[in-house]
Amino acid sequence: MSSAALVQQLMSVRQQLDFASGLLAKPSPEAMDSCTSVLETAGRQLEEWQPAFSQQAGDAAALEEAWRLRRSYVRTVRLLQGASEFHLNWSQLRGAMTGGYRETGESAPVVYGHRISLHG
Amino acid sequence: MSNLLASLASSAGTLEAYGRVLETAQNNVANASTPGYAKQRLELYALPFDPDSGVTGGVGAGKLVSARNEFAEQAVRQQTSGMGYQKQLVDSLTALQSNFDISGKQGIPQALNNLLQSFSAWGATPDNQAARQTVVQRATDFAQAFQQASNTVAARAQDTQQQIGQTVDHVNQLVGELQGYNRIAMQGNKNDGGLSARMHSALEELSSLVDVHATFESDGTVSLMLNGQTPLLLEDKQFSLTTSLYQPQNPPPTNPAGPASARIQASDGSDITSQTRGAQLGALLHLRNQILPSLIGDAYQAGDLNVMAKQFADRVNQLLTSGNITDGPPAQPGIPLFTYDTTDATAAAASLSVDPAVTPDQLATITPGPPEVSNGVPLALSALASPVQDADKVNGLSYSQFYGQIAGSVGTALNDATNSQDVQQSLLSQAKDLRQQYQGVSLDEEATILMQFQRAYQANSKFLTVLDQLTQSAIDILR
Repeated sequence: MSSAALVQQLMSVRQQLDFASGLLAKPSPEAMDSCTSVLETAGRQLEEWQPAFSQQAGDAAALEEAWRLRRSYVRTVRLLQGASEFHLNWSQLRGAMTGGYRETGESAPVVYGHRISLHG
Repeated sequence: MSNLLASLASSAGTLEAYGRVLETAQNNVANASTPGYAKQRLELYALPFDPDSGVTGGVGAGKLVSARNEFAEQAVRQQTSGMGYQKQLVDSLTALQSNFDISGKQGIPQALNNLLQSFSAWGATPDNQAARQTVVQRATDFAQAFQQASNTVAARAQDTQQQIGQTVDHVNQLVGELQGYNRIAMQGNKNDGGLSARMHSALEELSSLVDVHATFESDGTVSLMLNGQTPLLLEDKQFSLTTSLYQPQNPPPTNPAGPASARIQASDGSDITSQTRGAQLGALLHLRNQILPSLIGDAYQAGDLNVMAKQFADRVNQLLTSGNITDGPPAQPGIPLFTYDTTDATAAAASLSVDPAVTPDQLATITPGPPEVSNGVPLALSALASPVQDADKVNGLSYSQFYGQIAGSVGTALNDATNSQDVQQSLLSQAKDLRQQYQGVSLDEEATILMQFQRAYQANSKFLTVLDQLTQSAIDILR
């Protein structure tokens, strides 16, 4: 594999992660679902292409693109954490407001009653 | 007759209730573009219905409930504080980095390179007067480069202190504004949507300056705690912040005359500097009390510029004084070239200079040996370019490498801050989007959304764990 081809592959994965970040910046349930499939594709492609990377070890352009990919990954993770913390903290706060605290110190779980969530 | 009157009263009450709903809706429309405004809604409740006892039912108007989710507001303020921190750090480090050129074409690296080259040229022609003159001139340039770098960083420290003062004033002014809003709320206007909008707008601006936790009380007032610990506002009482420079005494300072540190004090005079980590003020304090002192020193450290200036001057002086100007008899020993303030470790770079009494013909050339080497001193000085001995190194590095490390640390800090600012901008957009999503959402809707989110987090986390390994190993393989 040529250096240019490798850079192109890494760039393609990075663009998918950037797209996932865009979805996570507006984290509706639908956006989160779309994000899952984007991340799955990005992971599968990177795993498939990785055995050929060693042919370009030491290539400056490829390494630079790999760092860009890593930064995109870090942003995606931080956005998932941000949305996750928001909902988790809100759930805990609501639990504490409605059910108080358990003996062990954590807030009581929020009881939503019986619901069916259909997803297709 | 009484039933007719009761029915009319009921209808009137219902009309009044719907009138208030319309008024609320109208208010929402009118304030749609007001910064910080959140949609409000009126709770309606059914009145008891029992015609036999004259209770005619109908609809009553309940309390005006703000749909604003204070939790979401606090999340936005938290990310706004993070953005304030990163933005300030990027701005300040960008300005600082311009003083640390690593191209070798200006400043300290250029002066160091020129001086080392002049040592080498002098070694090739040790008796050449012009070569000696060049050494003295290059040494003077080198000293001036250190003075200039040190003074520039000291000026940045002074600017930063001024910015800290301005930020503290701005914080006090915004808290004062919120104090005024609290007074209005305490007069019974707690359900005024416009007032709430102004309060939230001021809070958002405040959170970019300091890490502030706001709690809305039942009377409509807001209580503010700096970093969740120090009160800034309680009802109509404001607690102002102040800033000053100080020289810490505990533990006793190693550099009592070194640059002072910036301090933030609460209204009771207590030192809350260590608590003030977030937002713009936190970034300014980080720069003023940590990044800049690592370069020019403070009460407890000399600073890298001073370490480099002192060690280089000491080594050059040591090599010159260990040699002879002439081998006599009697042999005339060499004299030191550089001088600096030896009483204050943080003043070495700013006070570094060439002794004006030294003339080019007073530069020692001969190492007495045995064996005596006629150009031994300039050769030893030239070796500072590619040092082998520990005595020719600073912290185990050549002087060029050490300077590269100083400049590199500023560049790396700026690079990290720029990347973090980029991420923080996305997190702020996300928090604003979540705030928007939660406005006006019923608890039933929310329950469904939370369940969907929980499932999606698990799926996304799984793939991100895989990507963590894959992206890191891509770098490892390509290195």
